Amino acid sequence: MSEPSCKSPRTPAWLSWFIGRLGYGLLTAWVISLVVFIATQALPSDPARVILGPDAPLESILTLQHQLGLDQPILWQYLRWFGSALSGDLGESLDSNAPVSDILWGRLGYTLVLLTGVILVVVPAALALGVALALRRDSRLDRWSLSLLIFLKATPGFLLAIGLVLLFSMPHMDWLPAVSILDPDQSLLRQLKFLVLPVLALSLTALPYLTRMVRAAMIEALDSDYVVAARLRGIPYRRIVWGHTLPNALVPAIQGVALTLRTLIGGAVLAEVIFSYPGIGTALNAAIQMRDLPMIQAIVLVITLAVVLINLLADLLTVLLTPKLRTARRVTMIQRNRRGITPWWRRSRGDA
Amino acid sequence: MNDGFSRRAFLGHSLAIGGGLLLAGCDSGAASQGAAVLTRKPVSGGRLRVGIIDGDQSGNLDAHKPVGGGIIRGWALYSKFWEWNTDVSTRLALAEFAEPNADASAWTIRIKPGLEFHHGKTIGADDMLFSLLRLTDPKLASPFAGLVGAIDRNALRKLDERTIEIRFKQGQSFFPLDETLISFGGIVPTDYDPITNPVGAGPYKLKRFVPGQRSLYERFENYYKPGQPYADELEIIEFKDQVSRVAALRAGQIDVASGVQAEHSALLKADSRLSLCVSPSTSFTGFNLNLAKPPFDDVRVRQAFRLLADRQELVDRGLTGFGRVANDLYSPHDPTYNHAIAQRPYDLEQARSLLRQAGQTDLRVALTTPPGPGVNAALVFAQQAKKAGVDVRVTQVDGAVFNGPQREQWQLSPGSTPARGFLASALHNDAPLAIYNRSNFHDRRFDDLYRQALAQPDLELRKSLVHEAQQIQHERGGLLIWGFNDVLDAASVKVGGLTPEQTTFASWRFDELWLNHV
Repeated sequence: MSEPSCKSPRTPAWLSWFIGRLGYGLLTAWVISLVVFIATQALPSDPARVILGPDAPLESILTLQHQLGLDQPILWQYLRWFGSALSGDLGESLDSNAPVSDILWGRLGYTLVLLTGVILVVVPAALALGVALALRRDSRLDRWSLSLLIFLKATPGFLLAIGLVLLFSMPHMDWLPAVSILDPDQSLLRQLKFLVLPVLALSLTALPYLTRMVRAAMIEALDSDYVVAARLRGIPYRRIVWGHTLPNALVPAIQGVALTLRTLIGGAVLAEVIFSYPGIGTALNAAIQMRDLPMIQAIVLVITLAVVLINLLADLLTVLLTPKLRTARRVTMIQRNRRGITPWWRRSRGDA
Repeated sequence: MNDGFSRRAFLGHSLAIGGGLLLAGCDSGAASQGAAVLTRKPVSGGRLRVGIIDGDQSGNLDAHKPVGGGIIRGWALYSKFWEWNTDVSTRLALAEFAEPNADASAWTIRIKPGLEFHHGKTIGADDMLFSLLRLTDPKLASPFAGLVGAIDRNALRKLDERTIEIRFKQGQSFFPLDETLISFGGIVPTDYDPITNPVGAGPYKLKRFVPGQRSLYERFENYYKPGQPYADELEIIEFKDQVSRVAALRAGQIDVASGVQAEHSALLKADSRLSLCVSPSTSFTGFNLNLAKPPFDDVRVRQAFRLLADRQELVDRGLTGFGRVANDLYSPHDPTYNHAIAQRPYDLEQARSLLRQAGQTDLRVALTTPPGPGVNAALVFAQQAKKAGVDVRVTQVDGAVFNGPQREQWQLSPGSTPARGFLASALHNDAPLAIYNRSNFHDRRFDDLYRQALAQPDLELRKSLVHEAQQIQHERGGLLIWGFNDVLDAASVKVGGLTPEQTTFASWRFDELWLNHV
């Protein structure tokens, strides 16, 4: 990690930490591109055979392998890809011969819209529900809600999605379209009805985890000394909850949202398959089946960068939301919570 | 939608799903009633939306090297010299004359006058030659070039502005040119490019193609069949999942689902707004016994395997009953097919005795299969083999691995070929010129007969050659062909022009399909 410079009082300490983390993230992306490349080489078969199908004669296969540059030394193939990727050229899809960037940006856009929708639904819902349950801890509502959340969590996602289709898109009661066949000619805003079911399905799978996280953080915050002290001073309870406890409980929630996003960015495959939603998850799956290396590399690169970015943003928000960290002269104590289970501040105190 | 209709229809529908299995035997009773209400006369206009499943491939638009759904899209974009009849024979399409000479060593093809491509250019002999040269270009590496690998690229001749002559390498004869050129011999203009200029003379011209998602076409006004196609627009939408496609069809988001799973047939039949079209195709489904690998180098083991297969059970369980039993021979629709060969029975005793004679009493065989409907049949077959004391172990590998460098190594693997005539099917399987001979069957007498048949345009004379060749295949061939599978297409009752046929592509005839959109 880079040395933080604290001489200039105008640059906050966390900025240099941020830049260091960014560089670290780029390094991660490069290492992953190398790992992916090696992994695809280890897969049996090659794109030429997959493209040409079962009946292809050997001469056709050899010709296509040559045309795709698959007969060149592996290191050279990688360097060539890496060189053009650095200059912004992600190559051509071996499957459809279209530029990878054309396919990728279109699908990434759809995925981002889907994720935005999920976040817009899940975050307010989880916050409201989490706070409400924490305030009514151990009540009947709390117990029933928790059971329901665990039930949702335990139900396989595809079952939830198919259940939603049956519920909302049965023939003769077509409230919502059963599958999200988006029209590329129209803007997504005009086709929002196609987003409802996928967003709902993914939100239902993400909601239990986030709600329970907010609830636990809230309960812990409500139990803490400063809340007791505030109550003893006669500060209104409502103000304690919304003005003091919730901001403190937000930090784990941000890490929880980050974890959800990390999972969803490449893992919305579930909704993409069931609703035929054209995101990057199915594109990656198809690219792997097709051994379409430029496509695999590009998608994995985008997912890696997205994960790095999400982590960075989550950590940045954590720093900004935590006064002790925000004003620290050296931000060396931030360690990203990799598993999203026990945050560092809880660890350091819980050990005592 | 009619308001008073919905609740009763909904309840009836729900009951019908529950009772779907009971209804399975009744064909699409409700559906055909629904269809009867609608007009039988083709209606013009509207946008016809066809849902296809393309596996994982994004595919392309190449006429001569279609990948994935490119084959289906090709039916919209391109026309050929011939087109398929519903009984898998061929008839002239763009061509007004196409005949071989007496020994089939040369074909003369003349197209109708005044035909046009999508961009207005008149189709001429140069375009015909360009299309043939492009299909057979080694640099294009089309997997289908092998079907017409006999064409001598250097001997193609333009006779006049509408006529060309095709000759074959080393002066050989090649009678089944129509059946082998028809699928991938789309006629394209000399300025053709599959990406920047994908024009042909098919019923629809391209408006937009989003690989892996959908493609949109508009009606080609100067299509060679007057008045056709009927719809103003055609949209081909790709799905990744059978369940979601059925949901889309039932919700009215698509009009046709091309090639549905047999498992969904009951559900589809029960829906009065849908019709299920069951085409009794002569596509075969079976197993390749690899003769290059023991124990299948021994003819007795091959015979034993063919005897221990309970074909009816394979059809019932492997194809969910949508198919017919086969006799280890392909192309039963071909006029040269040898119907005199008796159906091979299910005979465990005989199978066991043959295995004993071959010294294979404790036999273990690996059956390698790609994912898909073939897996069921493989598992059923493994159970059947166990009864004869043979341990068949089924391994599933992904498509890339199945067709990968190890493909020569599979001992036993599923095999299938779409409905074609005998000579063309053999090119897909065990002919001496086969594009890929998965069973490694090579037999001098069979090869002789096949070559003679290639040079014999006369039906009666060819018949006797094919009969003997099929006798050999039946006795010692490397294919265990246990069934012919039906092809199931589902459509809204608003769709007309979709009728059962012996081919596999009833739902790809985009120039015949129409939509009652009013």
